[in-house]
Amino acid sequence: MDGGYNAWRLTALTPLPAWAIALAALAAAGAVLLALRGLRSEPRRARRAALLALRALAAVLALFLLLEPAVELLQTARVRNRFAVLVDASRSMNFPVERDGEPRAAAAGAFLAGHRADLERLSDRVDLEWYTFGADVAPVDPAEASRGIPGRAGRTDLLGALDAIASGQSGSTRRLAGVLVVSDGADNAALSDGVGPEARAKARALGIPVNAIAVGRGAPKDLAVERVAVDEFAFVRNTVTVDVTLRARGFSDEEVRLVLRREGAVVASATVRLERGRDRYTVPLSFAPDETGTFVFTVAAPVFPGEAVVENNARSFVLRVIRDRVRVLLVAGRPSWDVRFLRGLLKQDPNVDLVSFFILRSNADDAGPQQDLSLIPFPVAEIFGEQLRTFDAVVFVNFAYAPYRGLEIERFLPALREYVRGGGALAMVGGEQSFGDGRYGETALADVLPVAPIDGSSMAEGEVAPRLTAEGKRHPVTSLAPGDAANEGAWRGLPPITAVNLTRALAAGSGASVLLEAPAVLVEGRPAPLVAVREVGEGRTLAVATDATWRWGFLAAESGQGNRAYLRFWNQALRWLVRDPGLAPLQVEPDAPAVEPGAPVGIAVTSRRPDFGPAAGDRVAAELVDDDGRSVARGEAAAGEDGVARVALVAPGPGAYKIVAHGPDGATATGAVAVRGSGPEDADAAPRPELLSALSEATGGAFSALPGGKLPELKLANPEVVEIGRRKSMPVWDRWWYLAALASVLAGEWVLRRRWGYW
Amino acid sequence: MPGPTRIPRRTFLAAAAAAAALAALPRRVRAFSDDSKLVLAQVQHGGSWNPRPSALRRLGWELARRTSIETASAPVAVRLSDPGLHRWPWLYLAGAGPLPPFTDPERAALRRHLQYGGFLVVDSADGTEAGPFDASVRRELARLLPASPLAPVPREHVLNKTFYLLDRQGGRVLVKPWVEAQAIDGRLAVVYSQNDLGGAWARTELGDWEYPCTPGGEAQRETALRIGVNLAMYALCTDYKDDAVHLPFILRRRS
Repeated sequence: MDGGYNAWRLTALTPLPAWAIALAALAAAGAVLLALRGLRSEPRRARRAALLALRALAAVLALFLLLEPAVELLQTARVRNRFAVLVDASRSMNFPVERDGEPRAAAAGAFLAGHRADLERLSDRVDLEWYTFGADVAPVDPAEASRGIPGRAGRTDLLGALDAIASGQSGSTRRLAGVLVVSDGADNAALSDGVGPEARAKARALGIPVNAIAVGRGAPKDLAVERVAVDEFAFVRNTVTVDVTLRARGFSDEEVRLVLRREGAVVASATVRLERGRDRYTVPLSFAPDETGTFVFTVAAPVFPGEAVVENNARSFVLRVIRDRVRVLLVAGRPSWDVRFLRGLLKQDPNVDLVSFFILRSNADDAGPQQDLSLIPFPVAEIFGEQLRTFDAVVFVNFAYAPYRGLEIERFLPALREYVRGGGALAMVGGEQSFGDGRYGETALADVLPVAPIDGSSMAEGEVAPRLTAEGKRHPVTSLAPGDAANEGAWRGLPPITAVNLTRALAAGSGASVLLEAPAVLVEGRPAPLVAVREVGEGRTLAVATDATWRWGFLAAESGQGNRAYLRFWNQALRWLVRDPGLAPLQVEPDAPAVEPGAPVGIAVTSRRPDFGPAAGDRVAAELVDDDGRSVARGEAAAGEDGVARVALVAPGPGAYKIVAHGPDGATATGAVAVRGSGPEDADAAPRPELLSALSEATGGAFSALPGGKLPELKLANPEVVEIGRRKSMPVWDRWWYLAALASVLAGEWVLRRRWGYW
Repeated sequence: MPGPTRIPRRTFLAAAAAAAALAALPRRVRAFSDDSKLVLAQVQHGGSWNPRPSALRRLGWELARRTSIETASAPVAVRLSDPGLHRWPWLYLAGAGPLPPFTDPERAALRRHLQYGGFLVVDSADGTEAGPFDASVRRELARLLPASPLAPVPREHVLNKTFYLLDRQGGRVLVKPWVEAQAIDGRLAVVYSQNDLGGAWARTELGDWEYPCTPGGEAQRETALRIGVNLAMYALCTDYKDDAVHLPFILRRRS
């Protein structure tokens, strides 16, 4: 073709819009139909055919002239596309190509070296590009690829690599004609579960044939703890079940003993008998954690001779063991507003399992026949005897032990004292039957109470504004708001209380602290304690020497303050009583419960002052302690403005580590972290040629497998034709003979019609 | 009928004077103060607010005699608009004849009182199905807690077993065989009786019941007193008797 044009196509040059052309076409069809109708009575077929043909020819010629057809000459060129060779560089390529064979990476290198010339020949049609892939894609020199690339990547993301190459993320803007993947197929990303319908659709959407060379045949002998399924947290003393998935390849009829350890100590074990032809076994391991905290657990299977990977025979996980719902026993000497609001608060708390007993009728009351009443006997022996240790806290609200003849509650008070010393919690709340008014000063409970009841005294009446003591300004129980000034302001804003049980503060060294006192009520010349706490033995006690704390909620609400102060006071008191770990001044938490081998363990140590304000600037230390109790890494840092210090420690190897943080006042906190023994690449040593075969089949690529396979005939997409620059239109309608032909046809029809007697 | 305001107002003044004396100086007494006890507070509204002046005193006396609840020596009268309404979590609103509408501040104060845990007993002394008090108090209660319409309290409700096991209603009359209530977060905040409970509780200084109870006579009066006890118990113990520990005992006695 002249002028460098190498293609042409027909086109229309008419300026008329499409609807005008359509109208003209309809008019032309109408003219033909009219002719057909007028010729219905013509008996001679030849005449009818001739007239009809002339009319149709005229209509076509008229339309032709209207359309103004032209020939468009084009200058086009073919562009060379890309073809990518993708070589797997993940760690699984270091496994043998077959049992006792060379590494897969070496087999892949040898194959590429042997067929490099064949691949280079593709350069006639496409530009050849070479990449390695694992979690990411990187260009590679073909010579290096032919020598064998040692596996280093910790993941294999085949679909991600194909997508990156096809979409030009590697930097090229030209179209991809196809790829050749050289891999063991051990994908652990989108294709980890095989080529399902979704993955198949994604692969097809790439629009390129994926040719594949599968490297590796037959799974090597390997035993692996493939998966551990367990909740993120468990309740103390409740059974936890850990479902362990064990994968065994190349075994027959052996027995495997799975052991679950918590920081070195065995907590559960189970034995599995392996069967020939079966790969996976799910083994439940159950145990009941006996203390709260964050612990690392490790499930381990023994290492057998000849295993491809030994690191995957154990797997660690972190489990946070938390307290079950706090079980509280509330005993009230009589219904009152104080116990009404306290019970309402506890009842609404989803973390509290409340068992309450109200004395609704005393011996002196005359309520009528027993069968008309809903009252139940007070099960003293049951709750203060066998059930006592099931409670996390016991709360006496205006409860006297003495008036109930026959119940002999006093004989259970020593057991209650020992319950506290052994780690229980007791709160005594005031009222006219409590503390000295209830003559507790001469009972066993006086040994553990945080104040000394003055027996025989009576409550002091009158509105009293409570005042924080020096200890109360720092203690979490009396912390209504963060910061000294805000906290004191919050206390000053509360309605006064109206009655105080008279008690004496205990001497220093008793472990007791008065947090809140009544300055207007003096006992032996000193303000009477209102709220006091005590650490006694392993347990804790709280004294609230008034029956009017409900006023801090209900009365405060009238002045628009809401009842937040009341809720906070009692929530904090309960949390302190039951040693809620969240109230500890020092907290330690790893950034992630498990890290990859060699990666640093990020640790956040939060240090708070006793008043719960951030301990900014305090030096804290954190260390990793292994199963044998040895400190294996240690670091120090200063807490920032938020009281958080950050430390990064590197564990010497895989395993479970306890994190121990040390605060400035000898305070310690513990956490746990697991350093994985094996990443996803080491978890399963088996090659997956079937995955590559399915991918090739889905995309129309060729497939072969090593060892033994040859380079198949590689499939490439047709090169794209791209139009460039020039085009030229040559009209074909503007010739005089088209008009002459139309006139002749119309004239011919007119002449014949006249002659044959039409019109 | 005695003047509606005379006795409670005097009582109220006496209580206020006593409170003022207490506030002046803390002191020690053998008997503990009214602030620690259940004070039966009666709402003083613009209508006939105290149709049965001796009723609450008698209820207080019965509570002290029958239960371990300690009641204050005398009821108090409170206005919804006065500061200090929250000193009295238990409120009694009675009336004969129309109840004038609450002002906006009164309604807001009562609503806040109930939302934070207060309890309101409404008692109609009209003695008829659709008397003037009934119509007006229903209107006010609907405005008070619009999200919680009045609904009959079912027999199985804990209100009927907080102290006495109740299966019938009492009062000076028996207009309705049930009481109605408005709940906030599952807790009864307002309980409304049309049976003139106060008429059944009312007793003269000489010890005579002021009104006969019809049609059930003294049994109906006893039931009214028991309802009063259960209302006080519900205010102080709410759903305590729904705790699982009570269930087998209650089932045995009801069977």
